[in-house]
Amino acid sequence: MTRHRVSMDIGGTFTDIVAYDSKTQEYRATKTSTTSGNLSHGVLEGIDALIEDLTDIDFIVHGTTQGLNAFLERRGARVLLLATAGLEDIYHIARGSRLELYNAQYRKPKPLLERHDVVGIRERLQYDGSELTPLDEAAVRAAAWRVKNEGYGAIAVAYVFSFKNPAHELRTRDILREELGDDFTISLSHESAKEWREYERTSSAVIEAYTGPVVRNYLLNLETELSNRGVSVPLHIMQSSGGVLTAQSARQRPLQTLLSGPVGGAIGGEYLTSILTNSNLIGVDMGGTSFDVSLVINGTADVATEAVLEGLPMLMSVVNIHTIGAGGGSVAWVEAGGLRVGPRSAGAMPGPACYGRGGVEPTVTDANLVLGRVDADTFAGGQMKLDYHAAESALQKVGSELDLNLIEIAEGICDVANSQMAQAIRTITISRGIEPRDFSLVAFGGAGPMHAAFLAKELGIRETVVPRFPGAFSAWGMLQGNIRRDFSEPYFHLDADLDRAAMSSTLATIEREALASLESEGVPAENRRAEHSVDIRYESQEFVLTVPLRDAAEPSDEEFLTTLSRRFADMYEDRYGHSTFGAPIEIVTLRTHVTGVLDSAPQHRIPAADGSEFPHETRKATFNREELDTIIVERDSLRAGHTFVGPAIILEATATTVVPPGFRVEIDSYGSLIITLMEGRGSSL
Amino acid sequence: MSTNQIRVDPVTVEIIRNALTSAANDMNATLIRSAYSPIIYEGGDCVVALLDVNHQVLGQSAGLPLFLGNIETCSMAVEKKHGAEVWREGDIWILNDSYLGGTHLNDVTIFAPVFVEEVLVGFSAARAHWMDMGSKDVGGSMDSIDIFQEGFRMGPVKLVEAGRETHVVDLIQTNGRFPYQTIGDMHAMLAAMRMGSIRMDELVRRYGLDTLNAARDEIFQQTEILERKQVRAIPDGVYYAEGVLDNDGINLEQTVPIKLKVTVADDEIEFDVTESADQTRGPVNCGAAQAVSALRVGFKILISPESNSNGGSFRPLTTRVRTGSVLGAVSPAPCQWYFSHLGLLIDMVSKALAPAIPVRVAAASHGDSMIITTTGFDPRYGRNWVSMEATLGGWGAWQGSDGESALINNVNGSLKDFPVELVETKFPLRINSYTIRQDSGGAGTWRGGNGVTREYEILTDCVVGLWFERSQTPSWGLFGGKPGIGPDIAINPGTLQELHTLKANARQARKGDIFRLQVGGGGGYGDPVNRDPAAIQYDLDNGYISTEFAQAHYGYSGHG
Repeated sequence: MTRHRVSMDIGGTFTDIVAYDSKTQEYRATKTSTTSGNLSHGVLEGIDALIEDLTDIDFIVHGTTQGLNAFLERRGARVLLLATAGLEDIYHIARGSRLELYNAQYRKPKPLLERHDVVGIRERLQYDGSELTPLDEAAVRAAAWRVKNEGYGAIAVAYVFSFKNPAHELRTRDILREELGDDFTISLSHESAKEWREYERTSSAVIEAYTGPVVRNYLLNLETELSNRGVSVPLHIMQSSGGVLTAQSARQRPLQTLLSGPVGGAIGGEYLTSILTNSNLIGVDMGGTSFDVSLVINGTADVATEAVLEGLPMLMSVVNIHTIGAGGGSVAWVEAGGLRVGPRSAGAMPGPACYGRGGVEPTVTDANLVLGRVDADTFAGGQMKLDYHAAESALQKVGSELDLNLIEIAEGICDVANSQMAQAIRTITISRGIEPRDFSLVAFGGAGPMHAAFLAKELGIRETVVPRFPGAFSAWGMLQGNIRRDFSEPYFHLDADLDRAAMSSTLATIEREALASLESEGVPAENRRAEHSVDIRYESQEFVLTVPLRDAAEPSDEEFLTTLSRRFADMYEDRYGHSTFGAPIEIVTLRTHVTGVLDSAPQHRIPAADGSEFPHETRKATFNREELDTIIVERDSLRAGHTFVGPAIILEATATTVVPPGFRVEIDSYGSLIITLMEGRGSSL
Repeated sequence: MSTNQIRVDPVTVEIIRNALTSAANDMNATLIRSAYSPIIYEGGDCVVALLDVNHQVLGQSAGLPLFLGNIETCSMAVEKKHGAEVWREGDIWILNDSYLGGTHLNDVTIFAPVFVEEVLVGFSAARAHWMDMGSKDVGGSMDSIDIFQEGFRMGPVKLVEAGRETHVVDLIQTNGRFPYQTIGDMHAMLAAMRMGSIRMDELVRRYGLDTLNAARDEIFQQTEILERKQVRAIPDGVYYAEGVLDNDGINLEQTVPIKLKVTVADDEIEFDVTESADQTRGPVNCGAAQAVSALRVGFKILISPESNSNGGSFRPLTTRVRTGSVLGAVSPAPCQWYFSHLGLLIDMVSKALAPAIPVRVAAASHGDSMIITTTGFDPRYGRNWVSMEATLGGWGAWQGSDGESALINNVNGSLKDFPVELVETKFPLRINSYTIRQDSGGAGTWRGGNGVTREYEILTDCVVGLWFERSQTPSWGLFGGKPGIGPDIAINPGTLQELHTLKANARQARKGDIFRLQVGGGGGYGDPVNRDPAAIQYDLDNGYISTEFAQAHYGYSGHG
């Protein structure tokens, strides 16, 4: 009998595995070292540690960094790009933007292929999709010969206006298949990204071609291994959009898996809103060198339609993860008599001074150690013993340059780092038109819970939540995902020109195809849902807002344009503080996403406390330049209903939570730590 | 300067320093997200800043480089005219006077005093490019001969008085051709300033004005120390550079010389441009504030590229600009194309200082915005259209690297080109080809980047404007590197009517006309003799140079 739901999240250093046992209704988590040579090795080892008999697994989901690693390490396939003749330099011109304004020695982000890897193909469509020049089929065949003779591993095809009319790209693939066979990786730009803007679409297709073979091989491998060990259910893969797909579908659209790693956290946050009082969350995921911020707004993870990786754009649905260069490894230094923290990080090597790996510069982690906010013996689950004296001497060196004693410099570094992180969060929310005070903060990752309460105070946020397994929260989040597929259709119309009936019928067609696509995902018909939205802007603006529609039929309503304008104006007002109801609006893209609702693992309630006491010890830690008696407690000792007041430090295998003075902690019935600022102790903002 | 009696600890100073930068970022995010015009949200042709009561910059967004050094002139102009008692809570001011702000009339600054508990604590300001100011030609003229042909000039005047919009809004709506976008952009700027006022208010309430002022002095001092250290590292001496604009847009036979003299003495540096040409009849003039700004950009590129500028920046720098010159124009000199000579001037700072700091400079870039405008009636949609595009070019090489190909020019910030699919969908134009222009970058140990070729086919009768520059002073090389090839525009190439021109105001174009725009490449660095043969072969393999070019400049005939 089957009873386990399993998720696997591969990170740079560790692989997290979380399993839910439907019989005991319990979650378990484990960490194994990521095996960089053969990634599936570490994954399988972790599963073995949690589950005795792999035939017991009834659902298995995986967030993979295979494609991303291949991209970042530049070891993807050698790609030949077929582009419209006359416009074959689009990919290398890359829109000509300079991202560093005061740099006379600026180079563009390095492209994934060279200029001689581009073949111009004579063909041309016009703006409405009509054919101006027919496809030069002989040129396509000649390109296939180049592939064979010069050892290319994949092909990307990107013609202008293919999003309007894919005929030339499709015909090109047919010819290439004839020449190269069915297994060769061919990415068509209109399939990678069915949106306008030829450079961004070309870039999407090139990235998909570049990473495709690596992702496919890995997934095939892992599926085979799992099946050999008796796993009979299909492997599911987390997508960048936050939905999951079967591995079989993911192999067709490998681009969608590229940024799946950190997405689990945002989906976990989305799920948390169902058991928290606030449906608006700011997720902070802080690790050794990075600090990722994600947003859940009205219970839904904030999803963008475009992402940029090392300067190269991709048009696809992607959970918005804002990465800020801060973390435990941020280095403190002195410039012109002033204190600076970051942006440089000590990274994992040499790492903070207290790692004892030769680092001599003080970092945020060193400061936390000296302040007693991390424990030298139990850091990272006791896998690494921290060197207090190394931290102390590194801090003292910088402190003496600034005429600050050890405690002043250590706490000063934390204060500066916290204010920087808070400001970065604020700027992110401002550019989304969000007021951070209305949100709860959810902290995860190894270091997130160490800083979260400070950030909340700075941002005027009332409530900070540290979920269970904060160190493996991303893997936990993956268990809460649903099947999701995204469809888009460019649709440029000024409101005055809109044919409403035609819009409805276009949406209905997309909906039929989209729902049918869930068939192959094995989703029963009653669990399939379609949602429609439309990208709108005021005429001649650039940025769009994605406005939800009631259903595919809504555009046929007599009052549709007024309703839509009103809905858009309301969203605009929310976002920007002003709007122009009645001004002409421009429809840009129709979007449909279908969801196949999966049984999610239910949230597990922990036992209730049978009294207010819990085992703990008291140690000294420093807050506000003062050594204070601080509660040190193992998280496993806490039960639902326990409450206490900071200063306190809560230890568990994968993370440390710091509760400063003036904050109160309550353990809710699901085992989350709910940290709130006590009355009368509000931020001075 | 405040009385610096409080000593603020370095932690608080750093937190305040970050908070001021962050406040400016928040203002900028607000402006970019809610602006109506692509030139703001796509081109970033805007800047926001918080100033203290002495008009010193506390925090400023990266923004358009040319707006770097002169936003403070606006609130200063008000005080000069009306006295320091003029500021009232709830008032918001507007200004676009070229001779005060320094740029063309399209650059509009909106600014307001910030009061906390009835005490004036500073100013919040936003500047952005507005699409049309009612000039004689749509969007701005290429042949204006005085400022009055370039549109309406304001201020400083009150846009909002005691919280209510004044009749100036009506004036703006009435005089510009695109009131809808303009008012949208105006509201975006107001929202950005409101954000700045809120942030400033929070800071004052949190830290108190005395602490804030003491921290400010400390922050400015840190900036000054860093810049002086960099200047001291430049060998003392007098350095020169000069170049010319092709013409002023009116008298096409007469070049416009720009001359720069740099004097370095210990930790002080002086930029003197007084020997440059007198102000011109055509619209290539700017106010002195803008020349100062361009020189500050040139300074920043070499001295402090990474840090955010504030009131402590540029203290080691003295600038000398002559009133009545093309860089210090007075009424009624036309200023529409105020930036062509400024782009040249920024590159010239590098050229002058190349012998002193050869590792930090780069050879010259293609140098100007290379503008094409089209306007007309689009029969496909039954509507008028207006389009203005800048064209990319090649940048100069430096020690250790070739220059970049196909990049926007220095005065346009992070502007992106218009996608072919956008151009053809929105305007009745076709782009037949858009390619990297082979052989256009200068040869050298490190070669200049290549420019581009962009060929338009006109699909319906319309009006075209062209502003291409830098054929007389194409991108120079450094230390033996060769100059890049200059720009060229061919109208109907390969026909009997083939015509070459670089500038044209409101030229009638017919359906089927071809405009082939070619932008220059960047200059090379170091003697071509020393170029690595593998790099030459790479350039040949990738078509960056032709075999003829390899032979002529490197004596290289390839292998295999």
